Amino acid sequence: MTASLRRYGGVLGMVAIVAFFALSLPDTFLTARNLLNITQQVSMLAVVAATMTVVMVMGDFDLSVGAMASLAGVVAGVLFVQGWPVPLAVGAALAVGLVGGLLNGILVSFVGILPFVATLATLTIFSGTAFIISDGRTIFGRDIPASFSGFARDGLALGMVDGRSLALPNLTLVALGVVALVWVVLEHTSYGRRLYAIGGNREAARLAGIRVVQLRFSAFAFTAVGAAMAGLMTASRVASANPTQGDGLMLTGIAAVFLGMTLTRDGQPRVLASLAGVMVLGVLDNGLTQMRVDSYLREVMVGLIILTSVGVSALSQRRR
Amino acid sequence: MLTGARVEDQLRGRTLRLDGISRHFGALRALDGVHIELHAGEVHALMGENGAGKSTLIRILAGLERPDAGSILLDGVPVPLGQPAAARAAGLRFIHQELHPVPALSVGENMLLDHPYPHRFGLVDWAALNKIAASALARLGLDHLDPRGPMSALGSGDQMLVRIAASLIGGGAWLYVMDEPTAALTTTESERLFAVMAELVQQGAAILYVSHRMGEVMRLADRITVLRDGVHIATRARAATDVDRVIADMTGRDLGGLFPARAAPAGQAIVLQAEALSSPGLVRADFDLRAGEVLGLAGLSGSGRGALLRAVLGDGPRTGRLTLGGQEVGRSPADTWAQGIAYVPRERRAQGLIMGRTIAENVALPYLTQFARAGVFLHDHRQRQLAQDLGERVRLKAASVSQACAELSGGNQQKVLFARALAGRPRVLLLDEPTRGVDIGARFDLYRLIESLRSEGVSIVLASSDLPELLGLSDRVGVMRDGVLTEILPASGLTEAGLLARFYHGQEMQA
Repeated sequence: MTASLRRYGGVLGMVAIVAFFALSLPDTFLTARNLLNITQQVSMLAVVAATMTVVMVMGDFDLSVGAMASLAGVVAGVLFVQGWPVPLAVGAALAVGLVGGLLNGILVSFVGILPFVATLATLTIFSGTAFIISDGRTIFGRDIPASFSGFARDGLALGMVDGRSLALPNLTLVALGVVALVWVVLEHTSYGRRLYAIGGNREAARLAGIRVVQLRFSAFAFTAVGAAMAGLMTASRVASANPTQGDGLMLTGIAAVFLGMTLTRDGQPRVLASLAGVMVLGVLDNGLTQMRVDSYLREVMVGLIILTSVGVSALSQRRR
Repeated sequence: MLTGARVEDQLRGRTLRLDGISRHFGALRALDGVHIELHAGEVHALMGENGAGKSTLIRILAGLERPDAGSILLDGVPVPLGQPAAARAAGLRFIHQELHPVPALSVGENMLLDHPYPHRFGLVDWAALNKIAASALARLGLDHLDPRGPMSALGSGDQMLVRIAASLIGGGAWLYVMDEPTAALTTTESERLFAVMAELVQQGAAILYVSHRMGEVMRLADRITVLRDGVHIATRARAATDVDRVIADMTGRDLGGLFPARAAPAGQAIVLQAEALSSPGLVRADFDLRAGEVLGLAGLSGSGRGALLRAVLGDGPRTGRLTLGGQEVGRSPADTWAQGIAYVPRERRAQGLIMGRTIAENVALPYLTQFARAGVFLHDHRQRQLAQDLGERVRLKAASVSQACAELSGGNQQKVLFARALAGRPRVLLLDEPTRGVDIGARFDLYRLIESLRSEGVSIVLASSDLPELLGLSDRVGVMRDGVLTEILPASGLTEAGLLARFYHGQEMQA
């Protein structure tokens, strides 16, 4: 009983949340349009949570993802202002993500600084850099090319509903692609298997011939590129870039992975479970907004739900 | 605090009687009507293979578990069952291999953790605290331990002695249950423990001693109780039994000699050669290793046995020349595993297994690339097949190779490590205390496996603190002292006493 509650409790909780909103918002919540809208709203978070899972599998985490998302958006924006073509600016922003991630990797694995400390420091570095290069201003309006902001508005046409066209948003497709990639890497490659081994027992993995230092280094790059991508997605969606707009992704991203861990049988981070965690947070946000729940109260409620599910999971694990 | 003499008077003649203790887990019979008497002034050994019921019995004694039936009587008075506080009040103390000291505190503070610290003017009276600790240490002759020194500076042997000495504070303790106490100790540390045990018994205490080490049991025990499959098989006086009798009681079968007969070395070709090999803890070692040879490494703990293995594995910096088949050996575990050097580490929990992962994953870990499509995409079926085949080879007992390692017994966990080491068909096998804390049945299997690998031409370096094991398996034995490989001798003709004398050569003979 306890075991099956633990196994399926998270799923039941999700169903309960959806059922609650479906009953409270009968006309608007369970519509194709709203559900597609939710997938777009959570797409940035999904990318951050999926790539965050890569480092959390090793027992590490990355606090700098939110600042990196902001920085990447601002880098693209500043390059747009200087007239760079969209693909080049986007490539440059992703390259900044890669460099930032390699920096995190060097600090954590080669220098040996605790991930908490190292990524807290790079968080402020990335954030400060974003302010410096943007001069603290928001880049918007005509400075953002239409092809860049249009990407987020477009999607894969699915047909007409009630005389309006319905589309699977591009951002959702990007998120699905990232999640699928991370899923293949973590669950079906020797690279992923090694990361799980490091998370399970770093010393044993090293003595069994796993190149722990190099793998940790590379995994941080993964996470930071994901963060940069999420920053670009955000900038595209709001057609602007400012040095703080991605900051919120860090806490929610980590929260989503933790929520996901309560859903897995062995309590380990798994990317599909992280995606489920993202969906829980996304559905909550969407439903509570539609119910006109005050946004500050919303934050309190989301925090309580995270504590409840992680707490219940911890208690049931202790009882085993 | 009681003085030694008064404690003696009080303890003389104390008896703890376990009467018809039974404990079932579903259909599994962990203990069935076990009857044991423990008398003050005796060392009582409790033996049995893993799963015989020793751990359950200890947990019941400690009040951590309630028996389904039976009672425990202290001098005829029932002790409340399933209550740790009652066990403590009855004077029982438990010494495990895994102690949980507070390393940041001093030795004296650790000793008084269970007691109110002495106070003076509302502040901790450190001088008084250290005095209490020092007098407890002195009662066991542990003058080499300073109550003011940091706990973190002590080895596991001294930490255990501190724990024992701490039990004297406050009085009342008379029955010590020691579960595999020497598993993590060096020979010197073990000898110190034995001296302390003798001192305790002299002062009127009783000791229930659980160990897989036959030599220790034969030397220390006054009486020996054997459990098998939860049933009390026999309690015999030490003088009325011998090793073969005890083994027969434990296993119900004649092992026909624990160590396998050895074939002549398979070849004479030198496989591994070291010249002036140095690393942290190892000073300029010269040795060579031939195909199909077992080179034993003997020495006290800290003498450099483990350091030599780690130097060959490439764990940490090294200097000097080290070649495998004429090629220089790599400088990281990843490189050396790829070259055909496999390693079974000393601590299977901390250094060996990824406990939460499956047997198959643990076995394939060093060779994931070789068992993946295009070197990247996992080939789970092949991995499971590999683990299945190697599992049979090492006589692994598991429900399936998809079982998590955490669910296996110590012996079977060790077999998983051996299976891993064989996964890449190694040329050189480095074994660090390969049978530590392993029951005699699994030990028997591992010894035969080592001999069969040797006969196939695998070269093995075996570091062990179990001297009969070293002498029973090795072709040559290297003696190590203070990081120096002092000499390498043919194993034939060596005796345990001879080896011990070589360890201590140039040192003061301890106890």
